[in-house]
Amino acid sequence: MSTGIKNLVQTLDSVDFLKMDRRTFMKAVGFLGASTFLSSFQTEIVNALEFAETKIVWLHGSECTGCSESLLNAANPDILQALTKLNVNLAYHETLLAQQGIWVDNKLANTSELNSEILLDDLIKEGNYILVVEGAIPNGPNGSGRYLVLGNKPFKDIVGEAAKNANAILAVGACACWGGITSAKSAVVQETDYRGTAFLKTDASKGILSELNIDKPVINIAGCPPHPDWILLTLGAVILGKIRIPDDLPDILDQYHRPKVFYPPDHVVHDNCPRRGYYDQGLFEDQAGGPYCLWKLGCKAPYAHGDCAIRKWNNSLSVCTQAGPCSACVEPGWPDSSRPLYVESEGKGVLLGENVGTIAKVAVGAAAVAAGVHAVRRMKGE
Amino acid sequence: MVNVTIDPLTRIEGHQRVSTEVGADGVITDAQSSSLMFRGFERILQNQDPRDAAILVQRICGVCPISHCLAATNALDNLYGVAEHVPKDALVTRNIFQALNTIASHATHIYVLWGPDLANPAYRNVLATLKDTGNAIWKEMVGRFAPISYKIDGIPIPAGTSYLAAIPEKKRLQEAIAIIGGRMPGPVTPYPGGYFYKPTVADVVKISSYYLQVMDFVSKYTLQVPFDAWIANTYKASSPKKAVNFVVEHLQGLINKSLSTNDFSREAGWGDVEFYAAFGSQLVGETLLHLPASLKHDSIGGYSDPSKINFLSYGGFYKPENGDGYNPSSPAGDRFLTSGIVTGKLEHKDFDPSKVTESIAHSFYENNDNLPPAKGETVPFTDPGKIVYDQGPNSRYSWDKAPRYDGIPCEVGPLARMLAIKEPLVTGLALAFHENGYSAANVYTRMMARMQETTIIANELLKWVTVDFDPKGKIAVPLDLSKANDSHGMGLWEAPRGALGHWVSTDSKGKVGTYQCIVPGTWNMSPRDSAGIPGPLEQSLVGSKISAVGNALGVDYSNPVGIFHIGRSYDPCISCAVHTIDLTGKNAPRALRIL
Repeated sequence: MSTGIKNLVQTLDSVDFLKMDRRTFMKAVGFLGASTFLSSFQTEIVNALEFAETKIVWLHGSECTGCSESLLNAANPDILQALTKLNVNLAYHETLLAQQGIWVDNKLANTSELNSEILLDDLIKEGNYILVVEGAIPNGPNGSGRYLVLGNKPFKDIVGEAAKNANAILAVGACACWGGITSAKSAVVQETDYRGTAFLKTDASKGILSELNIDKPVINIAGCPPHPDWILLTLGAVILGKIRIPDDLPDILDQYHRPKVFYPPDHVVHDNCPRRGYYDQGLFEDQAGGPYCLWKLGCKAPYAHGDCAIRKWNNSLSVCTQAGPCSACVEPGWPDSSRPLYVESEGKGVLLGENVGTIAKVAVGAAAVAAGVHAVRRMKGE
Repeated sequence: MVNVTIDPLTRIEGHQRVSTEVGADGVITDAQSSSLMFRGFERILQNQDPRDAAILVQRICGVCPISHCLAATNALDNLYGVAEHVPKDALVTRNIFQALNTIASHATHIYVLWGPDLANPAYRNVLATLKDTGNAIWKEMVGRFAPISYKIDGIPIPAGTSYLAAIPEKKRLQEAIAIIGGRMPGPVTPYPGGYFYKPTVADVVKISSYYLQVMDFVSKYTLQVPFDAWIANTYKASSPKKAVNFVVEHLQGLINKSLSTNDFSREAGWGDVEFYAAFGSQLVGETLLHLPASLKHDSIGGYSDPSKINFLSYGGFYKPENGDGYNPSSPAGDRFLTSGIVTGKLEHKDFDPSKVTESIAHSFYENNDNLPPAKGETVPFTDPGKIVYDQGPNSRYSWDKAPRYDGIPCEVGPLARMLAIKEPLVTGLALAFHENGYSAANVYTRMMARMQETTIIANELLKWVTVDFDPKGKIAVPLDLSKANDSHGMGLWEAPRGALGHWVSTDSKGKVGTYQCIVPGTWNMSPRDSAGIPGPLEQSLVGSKISAVGNALGVDYSNPVGIFHIGRSYDPCISCAVHTIDLTGKNAPRALRIL
C-alpha cells in the first residue's frame, strides 16, 4: 500500500463514515471501495482484541430473494470475506443454512443443528443479534397475517418476536422498507395489506412494527435490489459501533430512514450518468438500442437519490443507465412512484405518487427538480 | 404411521411445506406439498403500460429474473406484432443474457441449495460402517459440500471447498450479466422488438474472459474430463448407450486407481460431477461399477405410476441460425432447446399449449375449476381460519394451483428439457433406470440432468458470444405503440427451473387488461387436482425411504434426509409459484388471481 493510500486509510479509519459529508465519502469510496473500508475495519478489529462475534438473524418474508442475491454479488470483499472480517455469524438465513423445520407428529424434532425452528427460537431467546428483514410482511387477510405462514406461525408474529430482542434492525430492499412491489397500487392491495418493517410507502406510522406496537428504530436499505455495499457497509458500521443506535440515527438517516451517505438528499443518479454528456447536448433516444440520453424513454435518474452512478454495480462494472432507463427503485413507494416506466416524467408527482407539493418541498433536491425542468425545456426546444 | 413434516423447507427460493405419512419401514405412503405464501401483487400491471411488465415481473423471482423478463418480452413481442422481426443479434444477446443466468442458477442450486444435504451427519454414520473407504467418501462429501455456519455434534464444520469456490463464480456470472444488463439482479435491458442496449466489441471480449474464468472453476472443481471431450462424448455422442458407456468407462478408470488407496480427491481425478455420478446411484455405482456403497439417490424421488406423469418443455433459447424473428408459439424445432412432451413411459409428443388447464380443487381459492390459464379465475380465501395446512389430503392445503397437461401432472426443469431434446447421456441414464426397475426420473437423474444441461448451455454460450453475435448488427426494431390496442401476446420460455409462460392482453387504449403467468414451481410443487391426482413432488415422495441410503441404519424420523433431497431436487421456486401476476376477472373486486 502506498504511503498516500495508507494515510487516507488512517484518515478514513478515524472517521465515522456514515457521518461524512457526501463529497468526502464519495471521493473516498469512489477511489477505494468497500474493500479498503473493511480493511480499515479489520485493523480496528485486530487492535480491539476483545471484538466479539456478531450474530445476524436474517428473515425472509414475501420476497423474491433478489436482495440476498445482490448481497452474494458483493465484491472486494466478497460476502464470505466480509463475514469473516467483521466476525459475523450469519446465525439464521433461510436460503443459506443447513437447517429446515422438522416436525414429527406435530412436535419439533432433532436439534438446532438440523432444525431451523429450534435454531430460530433459541436465537431469539438469547437475544443480542442484528435483525435483517428481507421481503414484505402481509398483515392480511383481516389483520391475521396468514398470507404468509411459516412453521404454523404468521410471519408477522415471527418478525415481532425477532424485533423485540434485536440490538438493531435493518430492513433490506424495497419490500422490507415500505412494502415494495407487494404494496403497489392494485385492486387487491387492501386485502393483502402488505407492510414494510417500519414504513408503508412514505408513511412511517404504518409499518408492521407499529401494527405490533413495537417501538424500535429501523434502518432502511432501499433499492430493488439494494447495492451490496449499501448493505455491507451499513452492517459494518453498526457492528463496529461507528453509529450508536438510536442516538446517531437522526443525523445519518433521511426522512425515510435511509443512510444519507448512500442515498444523498442533494445528489441523484442523473448527476453522474454515463449518458449525461448527451443530455447536456440535447441528444435523446426515442427508440431502444441507441447511446443517447434516455429521458424521453422514461429514465427516472433525475429523481433517484442514490450513488449508483458513482459506485456502479456488480464489482463496479456498470450501472442501470449505462444500459437502459433508471426506474428510481431506491425511492419510497416504488414502483408506483415511477410508473409508467417508459414515459417521460416531466417533473410531476413521479417521486411520491400523488402529492406534487410535498415532493417539491421535501423530497427532491433542488438540483433534481432543476434537471427535470431543464430536460423538459430542451425537449420543447426552449 | 408417523407424520413427518418439513416446514419450512429451507434452501429453496420462497416458502414451502412438505407433509408426509411414513410407515414403520421408513417408506412414505402419502405426501402433501403446500406453498405457504400469497403475495398478491397480481393486479399491479392492470390498466398500466404493458412495457412495464418486462421490468416488474423480474420481482417475481430474484434468482431467475432474466427468465421472467424474457418470457414477458416474448409476450410483448407478440403483443406489439414484432416477434417475427426481432433482429438476429437481439435474439443472440437475449440468449447470452439467459444462458449466463441459467448457468449461475444451476450452479447456485447444485452447490449452495442442494449440495449441503450431502454433508448431513446421517451419511457420516452410514459410511462409517464401511471403515476406511466409507470414511474417505464422507471426508469428500463434508469437505466439499458443507454450508456456512454448520455444526455437527457441537463441532463447527468449515464450509466445503466446492461450496466456497462456487460463490465467487456465481458472482462472476452475475457480473457478466451486468455488462449487458446494467446490473444484476434487476437488469434494465429487456424490451419488446429487440434489446435496450447494444453490446460493444469490448463487452463481448469481457464476457468471453469471464466465461474462461468460470470454465477454469469448472475444470478445477466440477468436471475433470476435459470439457471438449465431455461434450463430444456425451452431448454429441451418436447414441444414448455410447454416452453412458463413455461416462461409465471414465469412472471405472478412476475407481481402478482410487479403491486401493481410498483417495477420492480432486487431485485423484474426482471432480464433483465424477464423484456424484459414481457414488450417487446404486445402479451406476454398485451394479455397473461394483463400488462397495452408494448414496442410492436413484431409488428416491421417482414416480411409481408412469401414466400419471409427463415431462414438459416449452422450448428455450432462440435459434440464431434461423436469422431475424421467431415463432411465439414455439413449435417443435423453433428453439435451441426444443419444446416437447415426454410421457412417463418416455414416449415423445409435440407440445400443444391448448391442453393446459389448472385445478384449484385443493388450493385456497373459491372460483371455478379446471379452466385453461388464459380464461382462469382466482378468488382466494379471505377468511384467515380457512388458511390451514394440516387437514389432510382431502382438504385445501396450498396457495399453488395444480396445472395439468391433458389432465396429467408434468415435471418441468432440466430433466424434462434433456429428455425433450433426446440428450444422449440423460436419455441413456433414464432408459437404463427404466429398464432396470427404477423410475427413469429420480433424485439422481434430476441432478445429473441439471449438471449436464449446464455443460451444454456453457458450450452453446461460447458459440453465441464468439460466433453468432455481430456487434455491427441491428439490436431493435422500432415499436409502434398503437399496435398494443386490443391485442394479446403469449411468451413461452424456459427458466432454469422449467417451463415458464406469460400471457398478456390489452384494452382499446393499449393498457393491460389481463396478465398471467404459469411458472415451473406451479407445475412441480402442485397439490392434488380435482381428480385427486397428486402433483409431481407429491408423487415422487410416495414410495421413497426417508432416511439416508435406503434406511441403511434404520428409520430416523427426526432426520429425514430423503425428503430434503427429493424436495430440493426440483430446485423449487415458491416465489415464482405463488407470486405470479394474473389479471383476469378485472371487474370482480375480490378475485385475486395467482397460479
